[in-house]
Amino acid sequence: MKNIKVAFKLTIVSLFLVSFGHTAIAKDYLIKNATVHTASEVGVLNRADVLISDGFIMELGKNLPTNSGVEVIEAKGMHLTPGLINAVTQLGLVEIDAASSTVDHTTKQKGVGASFNIAPAINFRSTLIPQNRINGLTRAIVVPGFGNSIFAGSSSAITLLSNMTGMISENVAQHAVYGVAGAGFNGGSRAAAHMALDKALEDANYLRHNRRRFESGFESHFSLSIADLDALKPVLEKKIPLIINVHRSDSIIRMIALAKKHNIKVVLQGASEAWVVANEIARAKVPVIIDPILNLPGSFSSLSSRIDAASILHNAGVKLVFTGKDWQSTHNGYLVRQSAGNAVSHGLPAEEALKAMTINTAEVFGIKNYGQIKVGMEADVVIWDGDPMEVTTNAEQVFIKGQKQPMVSRATRLRDRFWDLNDNKNKAYVK
Amino acid sequence: MVATKYLRLFTIPFLTINLFACQSEETSKSEQKKQTEAFPSTYKPLPSEAFVIEHATVLTGTGLEYQDASILVENGIIKAVGNNFFIPAGVEKIDGSGKWLTPGIIDVHSHMGVYSSPSIESTQDGNEMTAPVTAEVWAEHSVWTQDPAMPLALAGGVTTFQVLPGSGNLIGGRGVTLKNVNAKNVQAMKFPDAPHSLKMACGENPKRVYGGKGRLPSTRMGNVAGYRAAWIKAEEYRAKWDKYEELLGTNSEKDKPGRDLQLDTLAEVLRGNIMVHNHCYRAEEMMVMIDIAKEFGYKISTFHHAIEAYKIADVLAKENICAAVWADWWGFKHEAYDHVRENAAMIHNAKACAVIHSDSSIDVQHLNQETAKAMAAGNKNGLSIEVKDAIAWITSNAAKAIGVADKTGSLKENMMADIVIWSHNPMSVYAKAEKVFIDGVLTYDRYDSKFQPVSDFDLGVIDPEGVRL
Repeated sequence: MKNIKVAFKLTIVSLFLVSFGHTAIAKDYLIKNATVHTASEVGVLNRADVLISDGFIMELGKNLPTNSGVEVIEAKGMHLTPGLINAVTQLGLVEIDAASSTVDHTTKQKGVGASFNIAPAINFRSTLIPQNRINGLTRAIVVPGFGNSIFAGSSSAITLLSNMTGMISENVAQHAVYGVAGAGFNGGSRAAAHMALDKALEDANYLRHNRRRFESGFESHFSLSIADLDALKPVLEKKIPLIINVHRSDSIIRMIALAKKHNIKVVLQGASEAWVVANEIARAKVPVIIDPILNLPGSFSSLSSRIDAASILHNAGVKLVFTGKDWQSTHNGYLVRQSAGNAVSHGLPAEEALKAMTINTAEVFGIKNYGQIKVGMEADVVIWDGDPMEVTTNAEQVFIKGQKQPMVSRATRLRDRFWDLNDNKNKAYVK
Repeated sequence: MVATKYLRLFTIPFLTINLFACQSEETSKSEQKKQTEAFPSTYKPLPSEAFVIEHATVLTGTGLEYQDASILVENGIIKAVGNNFFIPAGVEKIDGSGKWLTPGIIDVHSHMGVYSSPSIESTQDGNEMTAPVTAEVWAEHSVWTQDPAMPLALAGGVTTFQVLPGSGNLIGGRGVTLKNVNAKNVQAMKFPDAPHSLKMACGENPKRVYGGKGRLPSTRMGNVAGYRAAWIKAEEYRAKWDKYEELLGTNSEKDKPGRDLQLDTLAEVLRGNIMVHNHCYRAEEMMVMIDIAKEFGYKISTFHHAIEAYKIADVLAKENICAAVWADWWGFKHEAYDHVRENAAMIHNAKACAVIHSDSSIDVQHLNQETAKAMAAGNKNGLSIEVKDAIAWITSNAAKAIGVADKTGSLKENMMADIVIWSHNPMSVYAKAEKVFIDGVLTYDRYDSKFQPVSDFDLGVIDPEGVRL
């Protein structure tokens, strides 16, 4: 194929200087002879080169010329993909689950639900960020946990950089829960949870159109706090999606109907039984966030869980977004790749699995300029030492926004300290 | 998400250590025997025809790999493995071209049956958190044999699993080793002649559970005091019974000591008849547990969850203690903070006994993948661990950890014919168990629904005319 040339280098450079001028100056890298999985309509390119310049993917093609000053990385026999994204993490909001002083993802404060915005609490120096980064995860959606309300609050999109330039965008989605937990917040019945969701959306809509009546004291009785109802405004304006945690197939149908009634964009999360109603979901053009490895009938709401659900949903035309095993989706957010590999092993085309942890996620959460190996995209790039879907594959080198990342984390430091137990050194002095 | 995580903190259990070779000769036979024979295994494999699997890549589980090899099974027993043996006439032949054979996969750390799926109020049967020492409880008495996770694990090649009590207690009770066959009662799943195990737990879980109730232990030092107090009582009890047994015939019925279920179990550990599986994350806590074992003369078979085993892998090798670990779980507790992805590989490299365990009804279905990740992490950092070696982490080493290495966990003559036929190299995400044999009986076939067991629960639970999946 022909080289895809780029003409906007100067524009990109100036953009770069504006937005990242205070960070290290990005070098140019030419990655040569990789199997490039583009996650785009171009598909997979064999023995292709990728030029990363000033933070962006500047060229993609075969036998690209080596300009002076460019660091050449030979990647023959290796694979290259966009940096991966996990759609459900709490990165930066927890260091140790059982150490409450390190946990910020959930509030039990009364009256704080939809208005809960976790962004200010995100700690970019968390050790979880480099550990995920060196294993190929370069972006994440950071979601609030459910405290006392059927609405958890709004999520943020981040890049896995160890400083505050990692923040991409706050308030990329609003999160709600139906099913068992939703019922729990509403006296123990799904029907009451349904009523609460319906009423909240109705109240939020009323408030947004009748602000003056409220401010002048004519209206004061709403189902949620004013702050929470205000927080639902971008959902009602279709600026952000409402992500609903829901598993049982009939509940999924109810949520789709609710979205239609209130004319909002919804995304189903968890969705163990989504495959049962795959056609209805596809028809409503509702994306689904799943962990494809979860096939356990873990609750009575997920009795139909199955290992090939991703494949069934894809075949029905449903847009897929992946996350990893829920109990390790933050500390090991990068394991979304293993989950994706299992989807492939059970019938999902590999390119679709890659999209479900790159470009599809970017589209659903409105992250611009990321998610494909395509000229003009930000250069989140991972070079893998093998098939990107394979469990024996490791990341060889990770780039985030064109910056070559050191392949080091607290875990690799511990590993190195104890690698040789026979060296008779006091380990305290092994740094 | 959070609720599940915290629940898991309680369910995450223990490690087991191998105590082979220390079965005490002086074990008293008569009275104690009654105890060990309670709830005996009634498991009997179905009759099976002899068969041979040919032209496969065979990973023996003991560090050998044969290309284009065969395996002969008669009467549920492996009769021959290799490239060069006589195949009797009339034996059924299974073409293994392009396939890989391994021993049946063993999970040394399961809560299937005691934390069954679906998870509801009444399935929380794994932790008797009403006292810090509950050596008197037996996990097998909680097992719901119809947990739908069991057939899913079978489809992942798991033929044997050890069900342990949870880790909420210092001493949580007896574990049980089961064959992954559907049965109406737990006795019919019990692995014949497998030793009983005792679950112990270090660290955060017991001190949180009992500290929260305002009683000992609320600290790690309280934990240690608790173990030692229990062993002191067990020593006295053992001595009383041993003396009674010794004088049997010359003493009278009124000299017979009273029986205590809790101390029965602990005394059997001291006699070397029950293997200790010790949930323990931190290096220094493992070292303390090793000293306690020496103080009271018992042997630790395996440390479970051993997040920091890589720091003391040389000691574990010397003490002949297995370390059962995850490939990559970490961070849910402070004691799980010092995770390295190379843990199993570093344990293996120190010539200690590495085991990959699941502690999860999801991961139990993919123990081959968990092993593959752990192997690849070590190799990425410069080791050269081969598939034929790493497979031991979920076969022969696991069998050693639970005391059944002379029966299963390796493909060699006279072993139980617990065999998995894999579609690919088992260290691949694409590998699927195609056929699973338990004692020579085809127990699972991916492509023949007649050999896909479903639990009672699965039957008609979604579709009245169908099975769950």
